[in-house]
Amino acid sequence: NGSKSVVRTLRPEAFKSMIPTIPVTNMVCFFAVSHSQITRLYSRFTSLDKGENGTLSREDFQRIPELAINPLGDRIINAFFPEGEDQVNFRGFMRTLAHFRPIEDNEKNKDPTASEPLNSRTNKLLFAFQLYDLDRDDKISRDELLQVLRMMVGVNISDEQLGSIADRTIQEADQNGDNSISFNEFIKVGNLQHINVWAGDHYLILSYILLSVLQD
Amino acid sequence: MPSQKKNDIAIRMEDVGIEIDGELDSGSEDEARWRDRNRKAKASPRARGRNGKPATTEDEEEEEDQDEAPRKRARKKKASAQDSEEEEEEDDRSVKRKGTKAAGRKKKAVKEESEEEEEEEEEEEEEKRGKKKKGGKVTSKKQKDEQNKEKKGDAKGKGGKEKGDGKDKKKKNGNSSSSGESGDEDSLSEGEMASLKEEVEEKKKLIATLRNKPWRMKRRLKLLKECQAFVEEFEGALGKGKGRKLYAYKVMMAKKMIKFNRDFDNFKTACIPWERKIKEVESHFGSSVASYFIFLRWMYGLNLVLFAFMFGLVVLPEVMMGLPYGSIPRKTVPRAEQDRAMDISVLLDFGGYCKYSILFYGFYNDERTIGVLQFRLPLSYLLVGVGIFGYSLMVVIRTMARNSDEGGDGGDDGQFTFAFKMFTSWDYLIGNPETADNKYASITTSFKESIVDEQENQKDENIHLRRFLRVLANFLILCSLGGSGFLIYFVVKRSQEFANLDQDDLSWFEKNEVEFVMSLLGLVCPPLFETIAELEEYHPRIALKWQLGRIFALFLGNLYTFLFALFDEVNAKLEKEKSIRNATIWGLNEYYSNYSSYHNTTDIPPPDIHPADVIRGPCWETAVGIEFVKLTVSDIQVTYMTILIGDFLRAMIVRFLNYCWCWDLEAGFPSYGEFDISGNVLGLIFNQGMIWMGAFYAPGLVGLNVLRLLTSMYYQCWAVMSCNVPHERVFKASKSNNFYMGLLLLVLFLSLLPVVYTIMTLPPSFDCGPFSGREQMYNVVMETIENDLPAFIGNIFTYATNPGLILPAVLLMVLAIYYLNATSKNYQNANLELKKKMQMARDEEKNRRNNKENTNQVMQDLEDLLPNRSLLPPAAAEEKPPPEIVREKGSKSPKVAKRPGAAANGKGINIQKDVSLAAPNPKAAVTHPPGPRGPSGNARGPPPGPARGRGRGTPPSRR
Repeated sequence: NGSKSVVRTLRPEAFKSMIPTIPVTNMVCFFAVSHSQITRLYSRFTSLDKGENGTLSREDFQRIPELAINPLGDRIINAFFPEGEDQVNFRGFMRTLAHFRPIEDNEKNKDPTASEPLNSRTNKLLFAFQLYDLDRDDKISRDELLQVLRMMVGVNISDEQLGSIADRTIQEADQNGDNSISFNEFIKVGNLQHINVWAGDHYLILSYILLSVLQD
Repeated sequence: MPSQKKNDIAIRMEDVGIEIDGELDSGSEDEARWRDRNRKAKASPRARGRNGKPATTEDEEEEEDQDEAPRKRARKKKASAQDSEEEEEEDDRSVKRKGTKAAGRKKKAVKEESEEEEEEEEEEEEEKRGKKKKGGKVTSKKQKDEQNKEKKGDAKGKGGKEKGDGKDKKKKNGNSSSSGESGDEDSLSEGEMASLKEEVEEKKKLIATLRNKPWRMKRRLKLLKECQAFVEEFEGALGKGKGRKLYAYKVMMAKKMIKFNRDFDNFKTACIPWERKIKEVESHFGSSVASYFIFLRWMYGLNLVLFAFMFGLVVLPEVMMGLPYGSIPRKTVPRAEQDRAMDISVLLDFGGYCKYSILFYGFYNDERTIGVLQFRLPLSYLLVGVGIFGYSLMVVIRTMARNSDEGGDGGDDGQFTFAFKMFTSWDYLIGNPETADNKYASITTSFKESIVDEQENQKDENIHLRRFLRVLANFLILCSLGGSGFLIYFVVKRSQEFANLDQDDLSWFEKNEVEFVMSLLGLVCPPLFETIAELEEYHPRIALKWQLGRIFALFLGNLYTFLFALFDEVNAKLEKEKSIRNATIWGLNEYYSNYSSYHNTTDIPPPDIHPADVIRGPCWETAVGIEFVKLTVSDIQVTYMTILIGDFLRAMIVRFLNYCWCWDLEAGFPSYGEFDISGNVLGLIFNQGMIWMGAFYAPGLVGLNVLRLLTSMYYQCWAVMSCNVPHERVFKASKSNNFYMGLLLLVLFLSLLPVVYTIMTLPPSFDCGPFSGREQMYNVVMETIENDLPAFIGNIFTYATNPGLILPAVLLMVLAIYYLNATSKNYQNANLELKKKMQMARDEEKNRRNNKENTNQVMQDLEDLLPNRSLLPPAAAEEKPPPEIVREKGSKSPKVAKRPGAAANGKGINIQKDVSLAAPNPKAAVTHPPGPRGPSGNARGPPPGPARGRGRGTPPSRR
């Protein structure tokens, strides 16, 4: 489909020029929970559920080609599973997907004392952050970066070079000198000319992740 | 689906829906109650869905959610386009204010109860409720309380209104055909409504107070117009009925337009030929190799246009309307050649039927007009021949100008080069393993490119040694260029001497000496240059440019010898032609006088000779054309054979003989070939030069070249993907391939010279080609001006060619060039200055933060946690001194800011590595983390102090 072909040609350095033309309508931003949406999600859920037992296992997710190929696929899949469990029911499925719901204007006006909804900006960013933060210590360390890198570039780059890339990445992003990337620094990396590539107004990265999970 | 299952789903949905709402919302009880009531209120006019919600609204809402973002964007764009600066500012403020203000207003409404406000508020509330009853969206407790209160007050009236509302909407839904449209109509969310309303209000206020503003009349008028337009456009959206419908329609059209544009963009991308192929090559071999293929594609486009000119305006008319083959001598193979005219060897040499065909100059007739269209073929021929140059020049220069906009030498100077690549380079929608492989390769390649760039930035060693080496390398290369130039000169001179001797006395080597030497030089010199260039240690991108320039200089010798030989040939042919021409004229005169004396009549028929038997001149133009075509063909053969043997065969041998060989062929000596960028680019450029020069004498050459480029695109893409390995140092090509273009321009100019020279000075052959019988080729133009155009144009032409007019014009142009050049330089400087400033600001900011955080990590953390900074007076006091130091230093010299952290200690990466990264061997793998940008280890800077660490623990002095 259209969005796919546009996205396919998308390279990170092309983001700057791409942002105005990104197909927002095609991005699946329909997480204001209405019944038809739930129906749709449920049908997706059942189509993923090959065991037909009402829950999804990791294998079910890995059957999605986009996730199977994605170097971060395992992390994304992990995000669906509460700690220590390897099955997720529809409710859990929805709970994770709720992260992707767009923030609406009326929600912004909400009472500040109320607890933060799942789809708040912070939570969105946190979701992206946790894709890289394996041990959940709120820091992306050099080792974690190395792991991601190794998955992304394969065997063509030597370990030394990989290490230098990771070091350089940390050097760029690190601002407080703890030799790792904290949440705040992570957000700053995504900031690009007033647009946050993680969870900006158009939810670039997150919506791609969502699309990869949901598209047939 | 079985009905039972359906029910099941429905129940689940109900379940989950509430569950999730509950999670998302505070005060869910209130919400539920409130929603219930709403449902009841609207139950009657609407068809109820299974779960108490009408299906249509759901659809609407979905559409709304999906489409909200683009619409918002579109509106923002519109607004910003309309507004002047001031307005924009105001808008920004209003957006910022939106959240707080709206909330504030609601409170106000409850407390103050001022009439106007309330009315407004009510309206707003109504709209909101209209929304809410559909979606059951989240609202805060306060709002709900407020609404409940109001409901108590005038629940009845509202209910009625709402009913009407509902009906209205239903009607609209009925009217509109698709669900998308219906979604559009009702898709304004309340937040948007509010902000829109506010904007409109503001505009109105502005209109009212515009009179008092201390602005100029012009500006006021402009503002007024804009404001009125805005109010007119958006007021409708806030009202009910027609205005709203119109607005909805507009919004829908805008949305459709956006979608169409997007689709069109996609379509355009899909239409770019070979885009996918080139991307694939790029992902494996880097942008530098891809730049060659992009250049090749560009060249193909250019040649297609040239071919269209040539074919449409010269070849086709002659074929359609000119005389057929065999009708006149120039279109017939001479009797002597007829026996062998179809031999394959002759045809391969472009003799025989090929020579007397539409492909070459000689075939064209000199009739002023041909066919029913009165097409002036000779004129068209000349104009196309010159126009090809004109068009090429224009296109090349325009492309260069456009490329220079993008500018940059390819190195990216963002803040987060690596981090951005690291986190965002994966394309989450890749589902195809093959595409994924390409993506992996391209990520790897781009990392490698960045590493090379980084290394280059880090490099900083003995500058004197480097300078010396570079001078030495240039000296060596100049020597070898001079040597080869002399060799060429010597050989050419010798060959001229040989030409005077008897051909039978010469040995094979003596006959082919020039070609032999030329190809030997072409074989030996480029690798030699490359070897010498390693002394220089340039960045591979710059090294490529030097290499290109040097080989270009070498090839110029090639070109020079070729042209030299060609002119000799032409001169010889001209001599021969003169004698034949005289003989022909003499023979004709004899025939006429004999005929008139014999038959005693002045009415003499032309001599009855078969066209194949007529004696004719050598037709030097066709000879030149044949030379060029031959050269092009042999070039194609050589290129293709080189790829087949040098790359394919080598790759086969390396791949399959590796199983039974003493050493590792793949890693060791022969290995796989790298793609030779410089050689290929120069081959392409010189080939194009041949085409430009030869096109005038062989109109078919352009078509041949189009075929060549087309096949070589596929062939080389295949070859590079299957037989070559990426370069050792994959480097990023410059964004603009202006260097290629510059070389092309030079070649274009060089090839323009001989053609123009022949057109202007050499007399055309008397019996072949479109200009036969004229003194000079350009006489065709004169003829046309004199005969076909009104007299005054001839006069104008005479004046225009007057030296008195041309000289001032040239002077004016020179002045204009000077002026424009100066301006562009100024702009360039300003740009550089700004860039520097930005970099400085960035570094300063970073350093300040580093320093602060360095000195007081814990305090910083605390500060992050606490919303109010003033709660921490001691921390502030402690923090003060270091930033001052930094600022002082930063303001003193920008260099300081760029220095990498020097306050190294064991905790993080050792900073010493940064310095040692500037390793002398560029081909070595990156063994160390690249440091920050900018000259590192600058000896001139102050000694490393605590202020400039990149935040790796505390500075040594404190330990």
